Amino acid sequence: MESLLSIENLEVSFHTSHGVAQAVCGVSYDIGRGEVLGVVGESGSGKSVTALSVLRLVPYPGRISAGRINYEGRDLLQIPEKQMRKVRGDRISMIFQEPMISLNPAFTIENQLTEALHNHRKMSQKEARERAIEMLALVDIPDPAKRIKDYPHHLSGGMRQRVMIAEALLLDPDVLLADEPTTALDVTVQAQVLDLMHRLNERIGTAIMLITHNLGVVAESARRVVVMYCGRVVEQGPVKEIFEQARHPYTQGLLKSIPKPGGRGKLYEMDGIVPSLFELPTGCPFNPRCPQRRPECGKSAPPWREVQPGHHALCWLYA
Amino acid sequence: MFWKKFLHNPIGMIGVIVIAMNIFMAAFAPVLATHNPLAINVAQQSEEPSAQHWFGTDEFGRDIYSRVIYGSRISLYISLFSVLVATFLGVAIGATSGYYGGWMDNIIMRIMDAVMSFPAILLAIGILAVLGPNLSNVVLALGLVYTPRFARIVRGSVLSLKEKEFVEASKAIGNGDAFIIFRHILPNCTAPLIVQATASLAYAILAESMLSFLGLGAPPPAPSWGNILSDARNFMMDNAMMTVFPGLAITMAVLGFNLVGDALRDVLDPRLK
Amino acid sequence: MLKFVLKRIIYLIPTLVLVAALVFLLIHMIPGDPAAVILGPDATAEDVASVRQALGLDRPLYEQFVVWLGNLAHGDFGVSIHSKRPVIDSIGERFPVTLCLTTLALVFALVVALPSGVLAAVYHNTNKDYLFMIGTILGVSVPGFWLGLMALLVFSVQLGWFPSTGFVAMWEEFWEGLRYMILPAITLSLFMAAVVARMVRSSMLEVLRLEYVTHARAKGLSEWKVITKHALKNAFAPTLTTIGIQYGMLLGGAVVTETVFSLPGLGKYLVVSIYMRDYPVVQGCILFIALVYVFINTIVDLLYGYFDPRVQYS
Repeated sequence: MESLLSIENLEVSFHTSHGVAQAVCGVSYDIGRGEVLGVVGESGSGKSVTALSVLRLVPYPGRISAGRINYEGRDLLQIPEKQMRKVRGDRISMIFQEPMISLNPAFTIENQLTEALHNHRKMSQKEARERAIEMLALVDIPDPAKRIKDYPHHLSGGMRQRVMIAEALLLDPDVLLADEPTTALDVTVQAQVLDLMHRLNERIGTAIMLITHNLGVVAESARRVVVMYCGRVVEQGPVKEIFEQARHPYTQGLLKSIPKPGGRGKLYEMDGIVPSLFELPTGCPFNPRCPQRRPECGKSAPPWREVQPGHHALCWLYA
Repeated sequence: MFWKKFLHNPIGMIGVIVIAMNIFMAAFAPVLATHNPLAINVAQQSEEPSAQHWFGTDEFGRDIYSRVIYGSRISLYISLFSVLVATFLGVAIGATSGYYGGWMDNIIMRIMDAVMSFPAILLAIGILAVLGPNLSNVVLALGLVYTPRFARIVRGSVLSLKEKEFVEASKAIGNGDAFIIFRHILPNCTAPLIVQATASLAYAILAESMLSFLGLGAPPPAPSWGNILSDARNFMMDNAMMTVFPGLAITMAVLGFNLVGDALRDVLDPRLK
Repeated sequence: MLKFVLKRIIYLIPTLVLVAALVFLLIHMIPGDPAAVILGPDATAEDVASVRQALGLDRPLYEQFVVWLGNLAHGDFGVSIHSKRPVIDSIGERFPVTLCLTTLALVFALVVALPSGVLAAVYHNTNKDYLFMIGTILGVSVPGFWLGLMALLVFSVQLGWFPSTGFVAMWEEFWEGLRYMILPAITLSLFMAAVVARMVRSSMLEVLRLEYVTHARAKGLSEWKVITKHALKNAFAPTLTTIGIQYGMLLGGAVVTETVFSLPGLGKYLVVSIYMRDYPVVQGCILFIALVYVFINTIVDLLYGYFDPRVQYS
């Protein structure tokens, strides 16, 4: 598949009064045209910060200190802010975890949707509203012509996330960055929203970067999976291989902690906790928790090796 | 924990120093003053600042420097006691109202709302207009005007605390209402009360100066800062310098309490920083 | 919406009655016989008796209150002892000056406070922000009437840029009238400007870290639009409440400012009436200003729903 967006050696650091936290440390991965890529990791693994870096919206006091983000032959980290604004919301759009707080409570749905259209295209308010209603219908919002006049607080969480998705897809973007889009929703609504995103991906062809802490969410929708830990990509490969033959001990741990239908007994729990980004262990950041630790793991950084065609892991086990 | 944080707040420490200077000025006024603040000297009317009269003299030949120094006594006295009156009344009213609730709470809080429907200084002006201007009336007027702010704070925390388990438990073992209020409820609202008191001290100093400027504060010839400014207003053409120093004194006094108030808020409620 | 307005107005009635009651009780706080106090020590017994009767002081308290409230409802604020004119007429002549003064001060305060508060929030924890904090803390510490005196000395007496005596009303000659109003309005506005600016800053800081602001940026909106549209409308709701409360500071401060600048407004009238022990006028002025204050805050409450649509239905 043709690569659409590629992240190369991205580094993001947060400068705080407690010191410098390396939130993203040499992350590289790419996403193909029309692909659904799963990015999995616990909170603090740098997966959201990576997505925000793609749009250059890393919040203060974070700073992108190195790397490239290649898109359409340009490095997004180098282009002027004015051109970057043309990319945001038009070519690359983003939806967030909490639909309760990511829609502005002070404006109607119509205002927020048409604003995105007016910002990037010359069109009349009437045209913009029609396009917005069409999009709301596409994300299965009943009676969109009426709902569009509502304020966000009139809608349920699932409906708001649908509105967010509708807004993000208004301009047929190439990439949708979906940051934990279902985490804040009820389980049944989660499935509906995931299903909706899957259908839209097939219908419109927008590539989706599905960021989640839940491997289960990725299993059904993504084709490839990137696993992140402490700001690093630790494993990357086709979804089938990751689930059947995970190589990195961290990924294996994550898989074992997914509850299985009909499963019995105690759920597996990984040893230890995610280390603070201010004091990462030397060598492999996972080594203090790793059940297969070797002497070299605590000394120097592990190598990035291809273990199968298209399947890589960052681990001393495969050196 | 609280004190340690407060002591490490530079803004608060500057405020403490300014307040300390103000208290020092009031306490040692007889030592610091070069003249009797009330002594009239017809030979030296409306003089510019000089080696003998540092801030100059007013239209009666009184030494303005000495009057400004003594003015800190009136200002501190009124602000301190009016805030004490307001805190005392506010705590009593707020605690009773919140603890017993019902129709009494409703009526009391309606009255507090009504008091707050007046611009603060205006109600004080009204009270002093009928009671007549003197120091204790100013204390009473400002105290009454600021009471609702304290009452609301106390009532709010009483309402949120009185259903808590430790209060229920205290009731169950037979403790009286007064005991419960003093032992369990009031200690839990000291933080917001302290912040409110500090802010009110700053307001009260400003209000006192405005009232005495209007002739509703300490009656002349008492050397209150507002009185000096009022004299300055009437004899502005003769001696412009007279206006400068009392105003600076008020600003410093208010600034001290505002700085401490800000620091306290930062320490007690970091969210607002 | 109409229901909301009606509810708000009905809720207001008991407060208004209590406000009137407090003003009514003022005259009964006078130590001794109010009529004797009003007339001074040289008055004859007949004079005192006639004033008592004129003020209705010879009737029982509740009866006096009911009559007084009834009169108020008809717009009758009593009669001045000094001029024998209806108090409401004198108020009507002087209130426009006070309204001009406080409105101008409000405009000055907002013109200063909104942009500076927004900028301070945007430049949070930089030197610009620290400078802003120093400025605002000075703003709430400097007595406005003293600044007024100083401004009068420097700009009117010394430099002669503004008139130092006389008065021209703005509604008669706008530009000339404005010259009389600029110094009073600016010095009156400073306190409010500082308080409102701090409120704008802190509510902007709160809003700017919310997800919908990041979302607005992710749409490709310019930073200007993100701040002035998405952040400011939300941050303005709590600011509006502060503006309403601070308008009371303007009305109260106007009493002193009008005295400093000799403006023939309601505040100056109140102070002069206090010196003359013209208690019906004192009562009338205080009640009238309180009513204006309550009215302004009711409007603020009604406007709040526009900036925060969530409140209307709750």
